[in-house]
Amino acid sequence: MPDEPQVVEPPEPKQLIAPGYTFGSVTDQIATVVLTGRTPVFWLACFSVGLALLFLFLYAVALLLAKGVGIWGIRVPVMWGFAITNFVWWIGIGHAGTLISAILLLLNQRWRNSINRFAEAMTLFAVACAGMFPLLHLGRPWLFYWLFPYPNTMNVQPQFRSPLVWDVFAVSTYATVSFLFWFVGLLPDLATLRDRTLNRFARFAYGILAMGWRGSARHWSIYETASLLLAGLATPLVLSVHTVVSFDFTIAIVPGWHSTFFPPYFVAGAIYSGFAMVLALAIPLRAVYGLQGLITDKHLDNSAKVMLATGLIVAYAYILETFTAWYSGNVYEGAAIWNRMTGPYAPAYWMLISCNIILPQALWFKSIRSRPVLLFIWSMIVLTGMWLERYVIIVSSLAQDFLTSSWSIFVPTRWDWATYFGTIGLFLFLFFAFIRLLPMISIFEVRTLLPQAKVEEEVQG
Amino acid sequence: MTAQSRDFAASAELASDLRQWRTRALTAGVIGAVLLLVGIFLVSPFQLYESYLWSYVFYVGVTLGCLVWLMLQYLTGGAWGVVIRRPAEAAARTLPLLALLFLPIVVGIPNLYQWSHANLVANDPVMQHKQIYLNVPFFLIRAALYLGGWNFLAWYFNRWSAREDEGSPVAHRKMAALAGPGILFWGFSITFMAVDWVLSLNPRWFSTIFGMLFMAGQGLSGMAFLITLLVLLSYRRPMSEILTPRHLHDLGKLLLCMVMVWAYFTFSQFLIIWAGNLPDEITWYVARLHGGWRYIALALVLGHFALPFALLLSRDLKRNFKLLAGIAIFILCMRYVDVYWLVAPDFSRGRFAVSWMDFVAPVALGGIWLWAFVTQLEKRPLMPLGEPNLEEALQHGRE
Repeated sequence: MPDEPQVVEPPEPKQLIAPGYTFGSVTDQIATVVLTGRTPVFWLACFSVGLALLFLFLYAVALLLAKGVGIWGIRVPVMWGFAITNFVWWIGIGHAGTLISAILLLLNQRWRNSINRFAEAMTLFAVACAGMFPLLHLGRPWLFYWLFPYPNTMNVQPQFRSPLVWDVFAVSTYATVSFLFWFVGLLPDLATLRDRTLNRFARFAYGILAMGWRGSARHWSIYETASLLLAGLATPLVLSVHTVVSFDFTIAIVPGWHSTFFPPYFVAGAIYSGFAMVLALAIPLRAVYGLQGLITDKHLDNSAKVMLATGLIVAYAYILETFTAWYSGNVYEGAAIWNRMTGPYAPAYWMLISCNIILPQALWFKSIRSRPVLLFIWSMIVLTGMWLERYVIIVSSLAQDFLTSSWSIFVPTRWDWATYFGTIGLFLFLFFAFIRLLPMISIFEVRTLLPQAKVEEEVQG
Repeated sequence: MTAQSRDFAASAELASDLRQWRTRALTAGVIGAVLLLVGIFLVSPFQLYESYLWSYVFYVGVTLGCLVWLMLQYLTGGAWGVVIRRPAEAAARTLPLLALLFLPIVVGIPNLYQWSHANLVANDPVMQHKQIYLNVPFFLIRAALYLGGWNFLAWYFNRWSAREDEGSPVAHRKMAALAGPGILFWGFSITFMAVDWVLSLNPRWFSTIFGMLFMAGQGLSGMAFLITLLVLLSYRRPMSEILTPRHLHDLGKLLLCMVMVWAYFTFSQFLIIWAGNLPDEITWYVARLHGGWRYIALALVLGHFALPFALLLSRDLKRNFKLLAGIAIFILCMRYVDVYWLVAPDFSRGRFAVSWMDFVAPVALGGIWLWAFVTQLEKRPLMPLGEPNLEEALQHGRE
């Protein structure tokens, strides 16, 4: 009613991006990173490191295929070694991307808008790295399709009671939905790049990828429905994938693995390491590309808070694990935990406790959360801690299981390390290729955060 | 519609409603309590303590569920948090009464817990192992610590909330500062509370997710109670002018989320123990999945998860006050059944036995608790006057 005086000014929305941006300047700043002819030295350096490590990975894998998994340190009884540690670590890192893109979308957390794009890309690449390990660990990766229940003349079917088979379905579904969600979210921005680039080849490529997006009201309406539905599909996946990964351990009766709180504890750990990776990527990127106005200190602060909260759940799990090992009165459970604390893996255990529980308590303080450099260091600490956590759980429980005569210590070989660092190379390679070729921040979603967008909405409404 | 132009005190009609609820609750509580006392002579004191224990655990769950939502909303923000603040604060203020109501359990320790009998412990190596933790003095010290901590949190959040109403500029910051540590304390205290009060009924069994089952249950009970109450209040001023379908929609989403979390934890525990099938662990499920208990388990799968889950997926339903309250009440009833299923089979020693006192105890305790709750609710305006996001919350769903 235009003639009725407005009684209340609607409350000022909390600013999630720096003041002074316009629709045009947001688009310019994000699109320029991709469309410019000049490449920053930082990008070249990171991409080169990624490429070098990727070659190392290819070499290690070639050797693995030629000689077999014996080049790794896996020996009876520790048959899972690095491969499964790295698998769980990488797939956990992916979870933050899905949490940011799907769950925070459903919760109307608008601060996600400027970090969701690269966090989703991170998810995809982390899942790609994760997927390498179980496949390579098969020994004969070219027979991987035996994992699927397809009609065959061998009369061999997967064992459906095995969580390893559930993993195949959980991870492949996760990869598919994550890719679709990411790609659908990219469409409007691909069209923007198509319209802005001066290079004929780039225009053709972005044009194909944009699938005919013209930004009509009908397109937007379909787009909104599709992204909401994909968010709804992706949300249970955040929980289910890492829950199934935790079942790989808990369904067995190995002491130290067979614990009922593993599902939520693994999910919390996954989000913990995932947000650490988001920070580890966002902090250098925003410094190099001058994106502090879009990925603000508020984003870093919120991410650090999520890290703190999930880190506390992980801390709760360690405390309860120790308490229950004693309380249960079960000698095997007690021995498994006692071995972790004092046995051959004690250094790794105590380092993981420091990295995952003790040091992250500093995140309670605003003074730490507001310093990007410190946050970057802390995210590295957490990533290390979460890797060690998986390592300690897997290796220490297997090395000393029920049969004392076959106890043995796991020693990683250089090919274990080469494969691990190789996937870090794969990740860096893919991620920096993405930075250069696609907009790392969602242009149109950030534009909705501008105060101008709010006014527009109210005039229409 | 501004905060300044509003009166958030209960209207005359609401005040008379509240008086009526209070009287009815107290009547039900007193009649229930008398019946329970009669039951000591008609049935047995054992039955009294057993029925009392699970009812008590249930009402502690509703109260602490409200307290934890209260703390959580200081961390997350959101309009849903502003509308539940006053009811949640009033629920927290019943904690002194709940501390008092713990006394019957103290008296009943020898009837309830095997580990309190020296002769049983002497013949059992497992109980001997646990004796440093499971003994009467330490049990009481821990209970005092939990109840003391919860009462402190309730006092702190209510005191600063009252000061915020008077215009204290630091109050909101003070409350937000303690919300994180408060939730942390809640998590740990609930875990050990669950171990002490419920898990130790069966001194041979353990499960690491057990504390989290209670956290999820409390969150669900608290939210179901708050939704029911808000809908009841929404018929009268001032809440009839404040609550919008949007508020209820948000709360309904949280309710759905907690239904799923509860199912997730419960199913995880079941699947892991079932697949492991170890003699130490499986006995707990053997007791709960045979005889009449299996029908209760099935009722939980359907009524505590499948039905509310399927219904709450609907957006229209979450925006319909009456239907949402109906589901919330149904969930509260299923919460009763769930707590009963966790506690009672440990007493029944393989038989399926439900006593009439199992029905009277929740009414007696519930009546007294509701009386205390309504008394507390009447004391303050129904919306937090000094809340910085009050205006935003009032506008929520009216744009």
